[in-house]
Amino acid sequence: MPKKTAYTAKIEYLQILDENGKLDERLARGTLKDDEVIFLYEQMTISRHYDEIAFKLQRSGRMGTYPQNKGQEAGPAGAGYAIRQHNPEAWLVPCYRENLALFLNGLPMEKILLHWMGDERGNQIPDGVNILPISIPIGTHPLHAAGLAWAGKYRGEDRVAITFFGDGATSEGDVHEALNFASALKLPVIFFCQNNRWAISVPSSIQTGSETFAQKGLAYGMPCFQIDGNDIFASYKVVKDAINRAVKENQPTFIESLTYRLGDHTTADDARRYRDPEEVEAWVGRDPLIRTRKYLESKDLWSESKQKELEAKAKEVVDAVVKKAEGIDKPTTDDIFDYTFAELNGQLIEQKQTLRTSSLGTHPQQEGLQTHA
Amino acid sequence: MAHTSSDPNVFILPDLGEGVHEAELISWKVSPGETVEEHQTVAEMETDKALVEVPSPRSGTIDELFGNPGDILKVGEPAWTYVREGGNGSAAPAQPAAAPAPAPAGAAEEREDAGTVVGSLSEMASVSAAKGKVLATPAVRRLARDLGIDINTVSGSGIAGRVTDRDVRAAAEGGTAAPAQPAARPQSEPAPAAPTPAPAARRSPDLATTVPQQEVVSRPPVLVPAGDSQVIPFRGVRRTIANRLRQSVDNAVHFSVMDEADVTEVDATRKRLSAASGEKISYLPFVASAVCRAMKRFPMLNATVDDEAEQIYRHSFVHLGIATDTEQGLSVPVIPNADALGILEIGRNISEIARMTRDRSIPRERLSGSTFTISNVGSYAGRFATPIINYPEVGILAVGRVREGVVADRGAIRVAKLLPLSLTCDHRSVDGADAARCLAYIMELLQRPDELMTPARG
Repeated sequence: MPKKTAYTAKIEYLQILDENGKLDERLARGTLKDDEVIFLYEQMTISRHYDEIAFKLQRSGRMGTYPQNKGQEAGPAGAGYAIRQHNPEAWLVPCYRENLALFLNGLPMEKILLHWMGDERGNQIPDGVNILPISIPIGTHPLHAAGLAWAGKYRGEDRVAITFFGDGATSEGDVHEALNFASALKLPVIFFCQNNRWAISVPSSIQTGSETFAQKGLAYGMPCFQIDGNDIFASYKVVKDAINRAVKENQPTFIESLTYRLGDHTTADDARRYRDPEEVEAWVGRDPLIRTRKYLESKDLWSESKQKELEAKAKEVVDAVVKKAEGIDKPTTDDIFDYTFAELNGQLIEQKQTLRTSSLGTHPQQEGLQTHA
Repeated sequence: MAHTSSDPNVFILPDLGEGVHEAELISWKVSPGETVEEHQTVAEMETDKALVEVPSPRSGTIDELFGNPGDILKVGEPAWTYVREGGNGSAAPAQPAAAPAPAPAGAAEEREDAGTVVGSLSEMASVSAAKGKVLATPAVRRLARDLGIDINTVSGSGIAGRVTDRDVRAAAEGGTAAPAQPAARPQSEPAPAAPTPAPAARRSPDLATTVPQQEVVSRPPVLVPAGDSQVIPFRGVRRTIANRLRQSVDNAVHFSVMDEADVTEVDATRKRLSAASGEKISYLPFVASAVCRAMKRFPMLNATVDDEAEQIYRHSFVHLGIATDTEQGLSVPVIPNADALGILEIGRNISEIARMTRDRSIPRERLSGSTFTISNVGSYAGRFATPIINYPEVGILAVGRVREGVVADRGAIRVAKLLPLSLTCDHRSVDGADAARCLAYIMELLQRPDELMTPARG
């Protein structure tokens, strides 16, 4: 009986900009130019401020639950920018922790706030912007990316689909169906897995028996890579290469972007209850904003005054976005009933008239308790 | 859902997480009179899920802060107010226009603050409001500060115990600062039009001094800790436990029956099962399975009471609560539809919920809704117990520690494994005889463990 090795594989890990802001010049060749790095640093800073304000909007009752992106800006920044530069018609199929990838590809910033304010119009994406509504259920949307890529291929378009999901999503069957579908049908899909180490309170160490999440792609016969997800250069390069493979060879790619969720899972969570503060502290040191700034400073491309200017700009931009989102007339509570049921029965009619649910407070001044004529 | 006020000068406490109804005030980060920026942290609060900072939704000057550290603030109620812009003086929380202060006749002219406060005091608020910050206008607070008086020690003669400047001056002159009347938080609902409290009770300033005195008389003496003694406030989980137990004892009429079950056969069966399945199987799943069966025969024990509606609900399913000891205190996670589970599944469920409860990963909905509870009290010591019912349930079974004991069995003596069981019921809905029959049936079932392997629900 013959005995031989049927298959071996290696997973390549890529880091170009380390946590001290030191760039590997050789690996960086053909990636981001200085003005692009400055642009992405500015975008990440604005996104970080947006995130902090969104958190406060929830805490002061101006918005519903919100999942902070804090600490994970670089992966979506590099990936989103690669899409914008090299495949601007691409479909972006997000979950909810890659705001910046969406903003870089034309999603108006107030849309995300509107969504979390409970306004479905937040998911009404403007024409010409190829972004799907953000997907809260874990791991259901990579299938949509596979379907969109299939449609594009069928029509003969050079358009890829990139989908973002977390480490926890790899435990969902739908993700594996999407991977298999993309691989078996040779579809131009980029699976961008943000391994932020925590699926709410489940650490990635017990999420899987695999050494890496990247190797999940091996089983489906697609190229897979692990990158430092806090490095815009690595993220940009790996997605740019993936776009090429997708367009030229109709090949999907699986990317594991190693990062860390610096905040809580959402505003309804308190990560201090299950995370070691030392672990968080260690990752604060690997913050993508800090390292990008260090890099720019090392090349004399950044200064304290530019930073001050940027922070003022971030505040201005975000203030305007909040104003815009809050300035949009609130949807009436009637919508919940009118767009859910064809016909309302007696109890629903009563609920519609009073919006009586157990999760609402009882203060008469509270909005939502008044009926909308 | 956003909880916002239609009055921009009143900050209504929002849902700080998802489905949060109240929060404990940990500290105020600003003081009345202080100017805050939009997004600046005003308070630190703890919900049952998280420690959170509550920021200001706007810039402005803080007028009043409602509550003291340790107080529970309700979602949907005012937490603080801002000084009304363009006007002077206090921005009392805007009350619905339809709720004028129903000052009782004869008392109005005595109150210096009559007409300055909007809203009214209901009987409830005056006697049950938590001890908190006294109510007073900024001007009166200023006066107190200037006169070197701690305003919290001044008894208020105004509406809702509001401290007036006359009160402050009297305290300064006479040095007769009485214990502060519990301050009423601003009301969230229009005061009921009727019934107006009896004038005698409402006539100030008598009220302010009599209420605390009555409290002192009815309260047992407080032993002030000294030396290395610790002060542990009733907070968080501990408070929840305390309130739930208090509610149970206040409502249910407890009685207990106790006996020992012969579990010699259960012991043999569980050892066989453990060896076969590789899982460690304790006595508890057998007891749980027997309880599920007993609930079918004695449905009056698998019930919950609704004291407000004066109804008893008998349930067709058994959602089994398992009282679990955790670092934070006692929790009762629930195995839903335990009567549809076989013994191994029950066992796995018990370990699973115990683990999730201890590491706090258990979903909220799994911490309520049980129809009967088992408490495994005897892991360490204690044969029998008088467990407190997990209200609004009507029965709870405490399981003691298995011991070897000598039993007389059909004229012979043998050594048996004995499991002490204590069943407490709410006598209002369960008769003593039913409780005793139920316990006897559980004991009988435990002698035939082979019949306990399958789900109770046929």
